[in-house]
Amino acid sequence: MKKKYRNPVGVCKYSGLLFITPFLAGFLLFTLYPFASSFILGLTEYDGIRQPEFTGFGNFRKMLGDSSFLNAAAVTLKYTAVLVPLKLIFSLLAALTLNMEIKGMGVYRTIFYIPSILGSNLAVVIMWQFLFTSDGLVNQLLELCGLAPVGWYGDSAHAMGIIVLLRLWEFGSAMIIFLNALRDIPCEYYEAAKVDGCGKIRSFFSITLPLLRNVIFLNLILQIIAAMQEFNAPYMITGGGPLKGTYTLGMLIYDEMFKYREMGYANALSWVMFTLIAAVVAAAFGFTKRHREDI
Amino acid sequence: MKKYILTAAAGCLASLSACGGNSAGFTPPDGTLDKCTLRFSWWGGDDRHEATLNAIELWNSKHPDITIVPEYGGWDGWTEKVGTQLSGGTEPDIMQINYDWLISFSSDGKGFYDLELLTDYLDLTQFDRDVLSFGEVGGVLNGVTVSVSGRGLFYNSETYKHFGAEYPKTWSELINLGEKFHKEDIYPLDVDIQSGGTAWYLAVVYVQQQTGRQFITIDGELGFTEDDIKEALDFYKKLEDGHVIRTIDMRTDEDGTAALYQSPEFIDGRVAGVLEWGSSVGKYEMTLSEGVLEAGPMLSDDSGKSGGWMIKPSLLYAISRNTKNPDEAAAFMDFMLNDTEAASLLGTTRGIPASRTAEESLEKSGRLTGLAQENDALLEQLDTMTISPYMELAQMKEYYNSAIEKVSYNAADSAEAAHEMYVSITEYLERIRK
Repeated sequence: MKKKYRNPVGVCKYSGLLFITPFLAGFLLFTLYPFASSFILGLTEYDGIRQPEFTGFGNFRKMLGDSSFLNAAAVTLKYTAVLVPLKLIFSLLAALTLNMEIKGMGVYRTIFYIPSILGSNLAVVIMWQFLFTSDGLVNQLLELCGLAPVGWYGDSAHAMGIIVLLRLWEFGSAMIIFLNALRDIPCEYYEAAKVDGCGKIRSFFSITLPLLRNVIFLNLILQIIAAMQEFNAPYMITGGGPLKGTYTLGMLIYDEMFKYREMGYANALSWVMFTLIAAVVAAAFGFTKRHREDI
Repeated sequence: MKKYILTAAAGCLASLSACGGNSAGFTPPDGTLDKCTLRFSWWGGDDRHEATLNAIELWNSKHPDITIVPEYGGWDGWTEKVGTQLSGGTEPDIMQINYDWLISFSSDGKGFYDLELLTDYLDLTQFDRDVLSFGEVGGVLNGVTVSVSGRGLFYNSETYKHFGAEYPKTWSELINLGEKFHKEDIYPLDVDIQSGGTAWYLAVVYVQQQTGRQFITIDGELGFTEDDIKEALDFYKKLEDGHVIRTIDMRTDEDGTAALYQSPEFIDGRVAGVLEWGSSVGKYEMTLSEGVLEAGPMLSDDSGKSGGWMIKPSLLYAISRNTKNPDEAAAFMDFMLNDTEAASLLGTTRGIPASRTAEESLEKSGRLTGLAQENDALLEQLDTMTISPYMELAQMKEYYNSAIEKVSYNAADSAEAAHEMYVSITEYLERIRK
């Protein structure tokens, strides 16, 4: 006689669905609905007060001739291209350092992670702003070293440098992911390599890096997504200046939405930003396909 | 599947059609004051916050049944905050509003409560008809003017004394001071393109005085020609080159994005003058020792022509059209505008009150003094122009600031920047006047 198995939960075949209902409801209400609404609003002219007026793809066509949008897209891509590789290298180096077996390493790891917790704190962003003013600590240190002070805010490249430095300082999250992956690499590989006369640098390039491929890729994607959505730091530190040199897509969307009350256009811009991020991530997938294992 | 997607899209559309913020129901006045809690919001500096909180405390002690919950902050980001509340229909019952909000949030007069319906509790007879008309949109009274004010010049008396300099009376005298102060790397004045947006304002005053043309007319037409705009930009550049004001590069390097009254350069007296509303100068005054900041003359040209300076309702009070307690909101608004005790607590933190009872109360108690009063007195002697609400729109400010920044950084010459600004403003005004 064939044995009958009961559903382990013991309710009915829909009990699983019941358990995920809170998530589904939250997802539908707070993710899918705003997502779909945003697209529909992107097809309208809407100031938040009067009824939205359907304009088809007018907002998207407007973008093609909008110098603010083209500038913001270029600034965002430039910022991403500068920040992401630097942050990956920096966090990997930090992870390698903190992977050493020395006494009190737990404390060091905590200390290194603190900036990531503080980084998005408004007070830290304001502190950062004052570090780079003409009489700020950074210029004072430069002068102490016999170097000329730098006009940080008056030049687009310098101003972007300030924001990149702030985000680099928050390397903790990427570092933790690297550190975790490093600790998963069996010691035997390094021991065997050492027996074969392999030096530390060779071990790094022949063992560590290849085994970190997937994690590097994961960090790459996470950092690209975060960088392309940058808003807080330029908004607070440089105000997007000088001459819109640090004016990111996030800032443009905020201004169009809340300052100029072009809410239809802002929603359309959000969709373009979403598409742009998806395209960059897809390109990253494409370029790294050969070098990573399937994940 | 296709059917489900279409149904979902239709659902989104249906719910979006409810967008518009003003979806909550309109509550007519019932002629009684009931127990309730009201929200009141305003922006300002610490002097205004302190005075307003004291006035609210007085109200709460006199009307224990009607509790006022304050919501306040600085000007930066305030329009965005209240705009979002208005879009979502979650705005406070009573709001301090800016002049341009009338056209941004109530272009048809339906964005705020019609205050003519609330005269049982709101005494409008204390205001001149002209002053009341500032708050009308499409024939509907949406806001009551708290004070009428204009921007004036205020100087650090200690720095000026140090140089043995008098406050300038003409533009040429101001420019000459640049050279004099330059020796010690001090600036006689400062204007900005950030929260204050005073850089373009000063240039506009200069050109309006020269040409007699108003930059933007009350009904939103561009009054300046492209050449006028170029002249304004050239004038701004002349101030920078003449060391009268800091360049934008220098200003941001020294202060980041901080407001001028929070700038160490201003507090130390190295920037010795500001252009500010009489109704808001208190925040500058508070950061210096008492009596250091003094009002200076409104600048005129060498032949004594002094026009071009501007006035506007510095602030208005409005009531949410979604309020459930319009009578109570009107009673509180009346208290803030006309009550003599409240007036003495509020002083001139919102400028010289437009309400006759409030002004008389301050006069009697000898409190009608200070920078706001001096500034108003100076403006009263001039043939002023009334600022168009269109001039203050955020998008318009973006056009001014962008042009000023380009000229300051030499990223464009003044003719190029003027052309771009002229075209952008013309197109924008045409679009929003529709």
